[in-house]
Amino acid sequence: MKRVVLLLLLLFLLPFAKADSNHSWEHEFENGYITTQPLLIEETVFVRTSGFWMGDDRPQVSAFELSSGDELWTYRSETTLQHDMSVLVFVEAGTGACGSWQDLLVGAWADGKVTALNPLNGMVVWEQQTEVNILGITGQLGIDEDRVVVPTRQGLSTFCLEDGEQLLRADFEEMGWRNGVLVSDNGYHVGTEAGVLYSIKRDGTISNTSIGDGKIRHAPIETPHGLLIHLQTATGSTLYLNNSIIGNYGSSPAIPLQYGENIFLATSEEWISLSCDDITCFETSKSQFHSNGEMSIRILENNLFELWVPSNTPDGGWGVFNQTSLQRMHTTSFDTYTTAAPGFSVAAMALGNDMGVLQVTIFDIDETTKEESSFSLIEVIHYVLLLSSYLLCCLFFATGNKPRLWKALTLFLLLFTVAAVPEMSTQWSTLIEPDSEATWDAEWPEEWQGTQIVVIEVDGKENVIGGLSGHSNVYELTQAASESLGITTEYEDQYLGLYLLSFNGTEGDGWEFTLDGSRSNTGIVDTTINSDSILRWRPA
Amino acid sequence: MLSGLGTHGPHVSSLGLLAINAVLFASAIWLLMRPNNHQKGWLWSLFLLAIIASGARILLSGLPNIMPVTILVIMVGSKYGLQRSIAFVILVTVSSNAVLGDGWWTLFQVLAWSSVAGVSAMFSVHDSEGNLSMKRLSFAAVWSVPLFSTIVSFSILDGTMSSLEFALYLFNGIPFDALHMMGNIFFAVWSGAWFERILSLQAPSQQRIVREDQHVSIV
Repeated sequence: MKRVVLLLLLLFLLPFAKADSNHSWEHEFENGYITTQPLLIEETVFVRTSGFWMGDDRPQVSAFELSSGDELWTYRSETTLQHDMSVLVFVEAGTGACGSWQDLLVGAWADGKVTALNPLNGMVVWEQQTEVNILGITGQLGIDEDRVVVPTRQGLSTFCLEDGEQLLRADFEEMGWRNGVLVSDNGYHVGTEAGVLYSIKRDGTISNTSIGDGKIRHAPIETPHGLLIHLQTATGSTLYLNNSIIGNYGSSPAIPLQYGENIFLATSEEWISLSCDDITCFETSKSQFHSNGEMSIRILENNLFELWVPSNTPDGGWGVFNQTSLQRMHTTSFDTYTTAAPGFSVAAMALGNDMGVLQVTIFDIDETTKEESSFSLIEVIHYVLLLSSYLLCCLFFATGNKPRLWKALTLFLLLFTVAAVPEMSTQWSTLIEPDSEATWDAEWPEEWQGTQIVVIEVDGKENVIGGLSGHSNVYELTQAASESLGITTEYEDQYLGLYLLSFNGTEGDGWEFTLDGSRSNTGIVDTTINSDSILRWRPA
Repeated sequence: MLSGLGTHGPHVSSLGLLAINAVLFASAIWLLMRPNNHQKGWLWSLFLLAIIASGARILLSGLPNIMPVTILVIMVGSKYGLQRSIAFVILVTVSSNAVLGDGWWTLFQVLAWSSVAGVSAMFSVHDSEGNLSMKRLSFAAVWSVPLFSTIVSFSILDGTMSSLEFALYLFNGIPFDALHMMGNIFFAVWSGAWFERILSLQAPSQQRIVREDQHVSIV
């Protein structure tokens, strides 16, 4: 009987099987697109739908619990029109000159309404009506301390965050569409469908400038060298910096995104990276890509970032760029035309597209859990057993019970070895420096030199991708390469770490990797890589 | 990760695996049928231990190299001789690999454990009176590991690996060999007497003597 108990105790050492490192849930809206970025605020996901809807359906703002996907509340606009394209804005509670306000979720509607909702329950805190000329508000709102700045259909209004009282109003001669507002030290800047840029000072003084023959469909970008505007023209688009042309690009420009000294643009033809130095802003790189909506930044460790760009094509998906080039395509099972940028928080990502599908992925749920709580039942049982066996050793040694001392000692040594081997094997492999074989292929593009390259041999075919960067271990690099190559992966978390089960569903006899021509004795997460490493996966 | 290292070698098709397993299984049957041992009851003991070894190997598969198979192979080899122990090895390896994963390495595992059984048949862990010697068993728990590890590692040789690389591969496996060794010693100390009782089931009940914790009892 005691041996049965012992065997059961030993089985407690088995790790829990963890199916995936990422966990995700989906919600499908049946009444429209998701054309704007979902927001992830603490434990809640906020998302709005837009046209095209029919019958009794109406656009709505919904809140979901991040971890479970349970719908918390939904606010429907019964009066709005098609094409609600104004991004939701979350405003933290605060106090300003015009009053104090609670946490607010502010949305603007195509019927000209501005609605401030209580993010906890979706109840309207205040609502204001602005002018409608066929459509109402379609551009991105701005927040200026204690007020929300609203680019209306034919003007601009500001409303106090406390109660929605109108504080400023400016009327324009031309109409705007998807014309977000820039809030700067000098006031507010917003463009129109006639290519006119309006600047409104906080005292209400209005000035305007005709930028060019085209349409301004985004908030201007503020640079040290003046405002940058990506003007949509009849034949494509033109980039203006401080009213001077600095480039011509493809049609239907996306909403530009500024991140530090970098500005990212996109059109139906290309993705463009700009950089601003002391003298001017200039193009640093350009890649073929089709995007017409929003872009967003995902902040990584070590000051790295990823730029996520929705692909507005039938195949959809999201291009993941670094500062200079496309790193991979992120795809899902529901990809289609997409203009909404992904929403990010530290622990999760929310994707939405024109099918009205919201997919929320919680990153590395196990690691996050570990960080939040170091409690692990397996580890506790392991260490309790370890301590108990040690104490038993001491007891049997003291009482001179040699046979039982041996038993307790072997149990202690086994438990100790089980605990020590994973770390020991990692250190052990560093004691030797295996010979590396040359693995650079002369047929690869020269620009891959000095970058991370991955070769995956699946079904007798070599799938190669290079130009990758910023990945610190084999797991990260494999994931990035697989996503770029459209190869699915499956992992299993085992006692010794994450284990690659399959590529494209093929398990075979297992998979082995070499890094820079050498086999590694450490796991895919523990094996660190260099900035110019060549990783090769092949069937074992 | 161990997929990148494991005992793999050339890919074997499903048909090839079927053929290998069929040959191995037929060999096991032939070895068991050969009438070299006229004692009654040994077959049931061997089957029971094979079930224990396979089940424990499967259940403990999450803990690398911790399993009672090696210690059982040593004891079966010592008690029943090379012929029965090879049959035992085949039964355990084929049945547990059916769950854990079958391939080219199955042959090498059979070869490695059979070698361990062969050595233990020559250098018995039982004394002259047929009683289990815990000292010899503990010693066998240690020497069996490098023998098993080296032979089973041959499965990784695929013509592209140099001898230096193979040596490095073996070197890298030492921490896991240590784990295998500790597991063997653990099962020897905790379960050796119990396994010995099962091995001795064929003996008349009045002759069965179980030594446990220096306590001797007539079963």
